[in-house]
Amino acid sequence: MAKIIVLGAGISGHTAAAFLRKKLSKKHEVVVVTPNAYYQWIPSNIWVGVGKMTVDQVRFKLAPLYKRWGIDYRQARAVSIHPEGGSSSKPFVRIEYTADEHKGEVADIAYDFLVNATGPKLNFEATEGLGPGKNTASVCSYDHASGAWKQLQEAIEKMKNGMRQRFVIGTGHPMATCQGAAFEYILNVAFEIRKRRLEHLADITWLSNEYELGDFGMGGAHIKRGGYITSTRVFAESFLRENNIRWIKRAGVKKVEPNLIHYETLDGTENTIPFDFAMLIPSFAGVGIKSYDAAGNDITAKLFAANGLMKVDADYTPKPYEQWSVRDWPETYRNPEYPNIFATGIAFAPPHSISKPMQSKSGLNIFPTPPRTGMPSGVMGKVTALNIIALVKHGDHPLKHRASMGRMGAACIVSAGYGMTKGAAATMTVHPIVPDFEKYPEYGRSLGYTMGEAGLAGHWLKWFMHYMFLHKAKGYPFWWLLPE
Amino acid sequence: MKNTAFAPYSEESYPPVPTKSTRFWRGFVPWQIVRFFVLNIKIIRIVVGGHS
Repeated sequence: MAKIIVLGAGISGHTAAAFLRKKLSKKHEVVVVTPNAYYQWIPSNIWVGVGKMTVDQVRFKLAPLYKRWGIDYRQARAVSIHPEGGSSSKPFVRIEYTADEHKGEVADIAYDFLVNATGPKLNFEATEGLGPGKNTASVCSYDHASGAWKQLQEAIEKMKNGMRQRFVIGTGHPMATCQGAAFEYILNVAFEIRKRRLEHLADITWLSNEYELGDFGMGGAHIKRGGYITSTRVFAESFLRENNIRWIKRAGVKKVEPNLIHYETLDGTENTIPFDFAMLIPSFAGVGIKSYDAAGNDITAKLFAANGLMKVDADYTPKPYEQWSVRDWPETYRNPEYPNIFATGIAFAPPHSISKPMQSKSGLNIFPTPPRTGMPSGVMGKVTALNIIALVKHGDHPLKHRASMGRMGAACIVSAGYGMTKGAAATMTVHPIVPDFEKYPEYGRSLGYTMGEAGLAGHWLKWFMHYMFLHKAKGYPFWWLLPE
Repeated sequence: MKNTAFAPYSEESYPPVPTKSTRFWRGFVPWQIVRFFVLNIKIIRIVVGGHS
């Protein structure tokens, strides 16, 4: 009998737990440890942030589903991992319950296999004055998005009363990622303002740490469009221009005061931009899990990178951008020190960024860290589950299932409006996510699989995916047939 | 949609802006139904090749 613990119930962790439970017999135990009571379909938080969906449309309670599936659900946060065990030789995870009835209680759960899929810590503290409860809004979770919608409504009301409003949306840290989510939000905000015929009272600005627009943390891409091979920079700039949005790029936000953002640009200049409404994505870090060996010595640095994300089968050797390769990227997400530990989704430590590192004259790193959106996160979760299932059934052997971001593609649909006939979206696919200049020397990616297109169809697709992926996550009939 | 005039030589003055015809086709439902299926096929190709 094997016991598998999954830390986190986001897209990656939930997918891993679902497949583990489906494919392993009941004599094996699957435990999910997450501080959250709900699963949330994060991509639709954008629509919560503009009032098009309610919080309850993008989330559901985990406890009833896990009870039905036979998963041992612990509403708790992981405190520490003890891969060598303690008083007994069995490795264990120390957890602290976050639910009302057991809140604060600590327990140790032994495991045979561990999947770390905690997602990120939203590191608002890394930028002074950033985040909900301080000076800016966020759409990184459903409650943040709900708060953003309240603030946005206030700004809209002021415009209705004839007051001019300044909107700044983008990245809130010099090394923040998830530009795609912020880009989607700014287009939706512009749509809502335009729908109310208030655009003459709005100054909307995109503020980003990208070297060029359309980088999206993956070094940009090239697509065939209108008889040309063109950069996603043109695609992104065209979208902003069309929506009367100005932009500031190569900007590292350092501090946010009430109604004033301080940022440094790559040329070393210090600037400020005033705002009435700002939604800025924070930097991401690991959730702060510690690790100890059998003697109780702190071995966190052995298991985790400096940013708190877990080391896996990547090549972490520091090397210049020119020497980067897709082979640096992990394939099985297995920890090299402890082969019964895996890390998926945002929880694994990338070997380096995908975008080229840039530094300002003052030495400030200003470039996006790698994004890991829903699709690759789900694929990593499934592949990890399949590998663990094989290890449980057949014992230790070379892992068969692989999902390198250097061979995997991804689809990103950026909605830019809402409604069956009034909606709009930019649909992008890239393949591979990490450019492979050995296989595709000219652009790093397949021009056949990498594409971008604007139109209503993309909005339908995004809307369809909302219901399809919630159907899958809720374990409704034939959920396992739906792709990640 | 009416576009705001951006100052000549500003960054915002350079990108391509869709014409009236392009905007029409982006929202023309029969054509977008076709594109919906085309996009689905393209994404399925990406998904199928996603992992082994």
